[in-house]
Amino acid sequence: MARFSRREFLLTTAGAALASHFSSPAAAAATPKSGGTLTATWGGFEPQSLFVPAGGGSSPYFTSTKVHERLLRLTVDLKFEPVLALDIKPAEDFRSYTIKLRDKVTWHDGKPFTADDVAFSAMDYWKPISAGVSLDALESAEALDPLTVVLKFKGPVPEFFLKSVLAGKSGLVIPKHIYAGSNIITNPINNTPVGTGPFKVKEWVRGSHVEYLRNDAYWNPGLPYLDRLVIRWWRDPASRSAAFEAGQLDIGTFNPIPMPDIARLTQGGKIVAETKGYSNSAWVTTIEFNQRREIFKKREVRQALMHGIDRQFIAETIFFGRAHPSIGAVPSSNSIFFAKDAQDYPFDVKKAAAMLDAAGYPVKGGSRFKLSLLSAGWFEENVKIGQYVKQAFEDLDITVDLSVPDRATSLKRIYTDYDYDVAISNNSGSIELIPSTTQYYTTDGIVKGAAFRNATGYSNPKLDELVAKMTVETDEAKRIALAKDFDRLASIEAPLLPMVDLEPVTIARADVRSHSTTADFMGESWAEIWLDR
Amino acid sequence: MLALAIDFARRFARNRAALVGFVLVIAVIGIALSAPWLFPRNPLRIVGRPEIWPFTTSRYLLGTDSLGRDIAAMIAYGARTTLLIGLCASLTATIIGISVGATAAYFGGWVDEILMRLTELFQTIPNLIFVLTIVSILGQKIEYVTIAVGIVTWTPIARLTRAEFMSLRDREFVQACRSMGMGNLRIMFGEILPNALPPVIVLSSLVIAGAVLFESAVSFLGLGDPNVSSWGGLIGDGRTLIRTSWYICAVPGMAIMLTVLALNLVGDGLNDALNPKLRDR
Amino acid sequence: MRRIVIRRLAQIIPLIFAVIVLNFVLIHLAPGSLFDVMTAEQQVTDPAMLDQLRHTYGVDQPTWVQLAKYIWSVMRFDLGFSYRQNAPVLDVILQQLPATLILMLSATAVALLVGVTAGVLASVKVNSIWDNLISLGAVFFFAAPSFWLGIMMTVLFAVKFGWFPVGGMRTIGADHGAFADALDVMHHLVLPATALGLFYAATYARVMRASMLEVFRLDFVRTARAKGLSFGRVLLAHVMRNALLPIITLLGLQLGTMLGGSVVIEAVFSWPGIGSLLFDSVMSRNFPMVLGVLVLGSVLVAVCNATVDLLYMRLDPRIRAR
Repeated sequence: MARFSRREFLLTTAGAALASHFSSPAAAAATPKSGGTLTATWGGFEPQSLFVPAGGGSSPYFTSTKVHERLLRLTVDLKFEPVLALDIKPAEDFRSYTIKLRDKVTWHDGKPFTADDVAFSAMDYWKPISAGVSLDALESAEALDPLTVVLKFKGPVPEFFLKSVLAGKSGLVIPKHIYAGSNIITNPINNTPVGTGPFKVKEWVRGSHVEYLRNDAYWNPGLPYLDRLVIRWWRDPASRSAAFEAGQLDIGTFNPIPMPDIARLTQGGKIVAETKGYSNSAWVTTIEFNQRREIFKKREVRQALMHGIDRQFIAETIFFGRAHPSIGAVPSSNSIFFAKDAQDYPFDVKKAAAMLDAAGYPVKGGSRFKLSLLSAGWFEENVKIGQYVKQAFEDLDITVDLSVPDRATSLKRIYTDYDYDVAISNNSGSIELIPSTTQYYTTDGIVKGAAFRNATGYSNPKLDELVAKMTVETDEAKRIALAKDFDRLASIEAPLLPMVDLEPVTIARADVRSHSTTADFMGESWAEIWLDR
Repeated sequence: MLALAIDFARRFARNRAALVGFVLVIAVIGIALSAPWLFPRNPLRIVGRPEIWPFTTSRYLLGTDSLGRDIAAMIAYGARTTLLIGLCASLTATIIGISVGATAAYFGGWVDEILMRLTELFQTIPNLIFVLTIVSILGQKIEYVTIAVGIVTWTPIARLTRAEFMSLRDREFVQACRSMGMGNLRIMFGEILPNALPPVIVLSSLVIAGAVLFESAVSFLGLGDPNVSSWGGLIGDGRTLIRTSWYICAVPGMAIMLTVLALNLVGDGLNDALNPKLRDR
Repeated sequence: MRRIVIRRLAQIIPLIFAVIVLNFVLIHLAPGSLFDVMTAEQQVTDPAMLDQLRHTYGVDQPTWVQLAKYIWSVMRFDLGFSYRQNAPVLDVILQQLPATLILMLSATAVALLVGVTAGVLASVKVNSIWDNLISLGAVFFFAAPSFWLGIMMTVLFAVKFGWFPVGGMRTIGADHGAFADALDVMHHLVLPATALGLFYAATYARVMRASMLEVFRLDFVRTARAKGLSFGRVLLAHVMRNALLPIITLLGLQLGTMLGGSVVIEAVFSWPGIGSLLFDSVMSRNFPMVLGVLVLGSVLVAVCNATVDLLYMRLDPRIRAR
C-alpha cells in the first residue's frame, strides 16, 4: 500500500548507494567533482526576506541556511555532527554546557568567527526571538576564550534536547559585529545576509530567483563543490514539473511537483524522487477540536469524529499515496519517540455513530448538530481534505459549514480569534518533541495570537506534568519512556491529532549527488552537493 | 405592444449567430434548472475513482476530478452558480449604474461632476484586483463574490445611461411633462428611463458575460466559495493535473467559453435588432 | 489648448486621493492584518515583543491617524515600508514593475497587430468566408477565460511541442549580453503576451471592422475614390486613420482591465511582475504594498486615460474645431 509505494521511488543505484554514505563531508561513494551551477527550488513561494530571524516559515528557512550555519547538524541516522562547534559537553549536573568551537572560521565579510558571536546569538537572538520557550531555562552565555562558550541554565537540561535546539530551525549563528545594537528582526542586512556558510548572496531578483556564489574562504577546504547556487521560485507546481523536463531545474525539495507527475518524471531514470531528509521536520495534517465549544469538551465526541474519517482515503487519493494515516500524536518517522501502541482510530462509521448517540447527540430532525469546519488554505491538499471531511461528517448526519480561508485569515481565525469548531491545519515537528509537538497539548502552549501551538484550549494537568518531567529528565531511557506516555495519553484524549503523516519528497536530476543526507535536508547548507556532469 | 415585440423578435431572429447564442443560453439555463433532477446528490460528493477520463464509462460521462467527484454533476450545478452570480451581479451593477447615470444626467451641474468623478474612480482601479480585495475582506461566500463583481462592473452602464439620458433630457416630451408639473423622480423613472433602456439592456447582457469571467477568475485563484460547485473552481482544481488529466481544465473552460460566447451573440443580436439602421452590415 | 491639457491632467489629483482613501478603508476592513500574519509566522509570543512590533508596524495608532500619515507620505513620494519584504514599498514595486510593463506593452502590441489586421481584413472582405472566420475567432478569444487559454497554450506549445519555455521571464544562470538577453526575454514573452493580448485583439477586431465599415460609407471616402485614388491609398491614408479613433479610446480604457488580467497571467506563467506581487500582498494583508501597487496602477490608468483623451482631441478634427 502506501508504505510500499515509497520504496518504488528510491530508483537509481546512485540514490540507493548514497543512502548509506552520508557521514563526513569529503567521504562520498564516488569522487566529487567541483564546479557547476545548481538550480534549486522548493514546493512553495518566494520568501518575504532571505533571512527572517524570527522564523517566517519554510521559504526563508530554505534561503537563509545556505548562508548561515549552526553549531551542529542532525544526520539521517539521528546522530549529531559538528558544524561550527567541534564538541558540546554537559556538566555533571546538566546545568551547564561547554561548547568548543571550530577554529579559523570567518564571516563572509572577512571578520573572524568567535565565541562572542555564539554568546551574542544565544542571549540576544535565540533566547528572545528564534527559540523562545525552548530556551526559557537559559540563564547566561559566556565566552571563556575566543573558541569556548559556556551556556548556563536554571535547571538540568537534557542533552538530546539542547543539541536538537542547537541543530534545529532556531539555532542559526549570526554575527555580533553586524547585529549588535540593532533591531535584529528589522535589520536591513536580512535581505543580503552575511554568514559563515558555503554560499554568499550575489543577487536577489524579487519575483524570480536568488543567486549565490561559492564562498572561497569556507572553513571546509575544497567545499563547496558548486560554483554557483540559484534558488528559483514558481507559483505553480505544474510549471516546476515542466522546468524539470526542460532541464531548467536540478533539484526541488518538499513536494515541488504535483504528485501524479512524480511517476511520469522518474520513469527513465534521469530524475529521481527521494523521501529521505525530512525526519527532523516531519509534516502532518492535523484535525483540531475547539474545546471552547460545549460539544468538544466531551472526549467521546472527539474520538467518535476521529473514527468517522477515512484517513486511508485521504492518504491515497488526496496525497496520491505520498502520505500514510497517523498513529498517535507523534509521526511514525520519529524513530526515537514514536509509540506504536498509541490509541489508533480505524475508520468505522457505525462505531462513530454509536459513540455520538451514546454521548448524547442523537439524530434530531435529520441532523445531530451543526459545526463550522475551517481548513487552513495554505496547502492545496487542505482544500480537498476540507471537502472530504465535510462529506465524512455529513455522512454522520452532522451539518457542516466549510470555509477554506487564505493564509492570513486562517492564521487569525485559528490562532487568535479561535473562530472555528473544527480546524484542519498543519504542523512540522522536530524529532525532539519539546516544544514543537508538546506545545499543542500543554496549557502553557495556549498563547493567543501566536501560531502553531495549542489553539484548541485543551488543558490537562496530567499531561502538563508529563511534559514538565520530560523537560528536566536527563536520563535518555527514562525520557523516552515519558515521551511515549505522553504520546499515549494525548492519543486517547485526542484534543487534536494528526490525521496523516506526510511523506514529502525531493525531486532531483540523477546527476545531482550527495543530497538528502541530513535529517532536515532543506535546512542544511548544501556544501557537499556536487554535480556529476 | 405585441406587434412591436413580434417585430423585434423577427429582427433578432434574422441574425443567425444571435439565434445560436439564444439557443445556447436557453440550454445553459435548462441545464441549470434541471440539475437537481439529473443529479439528485450533492455534486461535491465523492462518488468514484478519481481522474476517470470522460467518455470512458457510462456512469461518469464527463469523467471524475482529482477527488473522484462527478464532473458532469459539477458542470450542471456549476451552471446554477454561474448564472446566479452572472444575473445577480449584473442586476446589482445595473441598478447602481442606472441610478448613478440617470441622476448625473438629469440634474447636471455639480451633481454630474461628482458622480462622474466617482465613476472615473471605479473605472481607474484595476477591476480584478478590486474584486480580489473585496472578496478577501468580506469572505469567500457566493454572496460576497456577487457583490464584489457587481461593484466593479457598473461603470459602463452608468456612462451609457447618462449619455442616453442626456440626449433624451431636452426632448419635447420631457419638457411637456415638466410643464404638466410632474415630479423629477417620476419623469426620470417613468418617462425617460423606459426610452433609455434598450441600449442598457444590450449592455447588461455583456455585463453578465463579464461577471461570469470575473467569477471564474476569482474561483480559479482559489477565492471562490468551497461550499458550491463552480466552473472556475474546477479549472483551478485541475491546474496541477494539466499534463495527465487536462480534461479537468478543458471541460469547464469550454463551458465558460460557450456561455460567454452565447451571451455575447445574444447581446449583438439585441443590439442589431434595436438599431435597425446598422442592420445591413 | 494648453488650458485644456492642464485642466485634464489636474483632474487626476482628486482621483488619486480618492483611490488612496478608498483602498485604505478597504484593507483596514479586512479580517487579519499584516501584523497578525507576521506575528503568527514569526511565533512571537512575548507580550512586550508584541507591543514593540505593533509600534514598529504602526498598527497601534487609530485608523485615521494611520490614514493621514499615509496620505502625507504619498505626497512626498514615500509609499511606506513593507515589513514583509523588509524593503521600502516603492523599491519593491519599481523592481517588479518593468516586467509587468513589458508584458502589457507586448500584449497590447499583439492585440493591436492581430486585432487591427483582422478587423481591416474582415471589413474589406465583408461577408465572405474570411469575415465569418475572423468573427468566429474574435468571439472565441473574447469568450475564453485568459487563464484557461494560457494553460491550454502552455500544454500545447511549451510542453507538447517544446517551442517555448513553460514560465518565467529569463533563462536563469545564462550570462547573456544585452542583445541575447533581450531575445531571451522575448522568447519567454510570447506565450504570456499572446494569452493576455488575444482577448483584446478580439475586441479590437470587431470594433475595427465596424468602424471601417462606417467610414467606408462616409462621403469623403466616396469622394476620394471618385477622385481616382487607388483603393490601397484610400485605405491607409483616410479610412484607417479615422477608423482607428475608437480603438485609441478603447486602448486607454482597457489599461485597468489589462492590469487585472496580468495578475492571472502572471500567476499562470510565473511572470515576475507586480500582478503576482499584488496578489501575494492581498493574500498576506500587506496593506502598504497593496495600496502602493493600487495607487501606482491607478496613476498609470488615470494618466493613460488623460493622454488618450488628449490624443483623441488632437486626432479627431471635429472635436478640435470646437
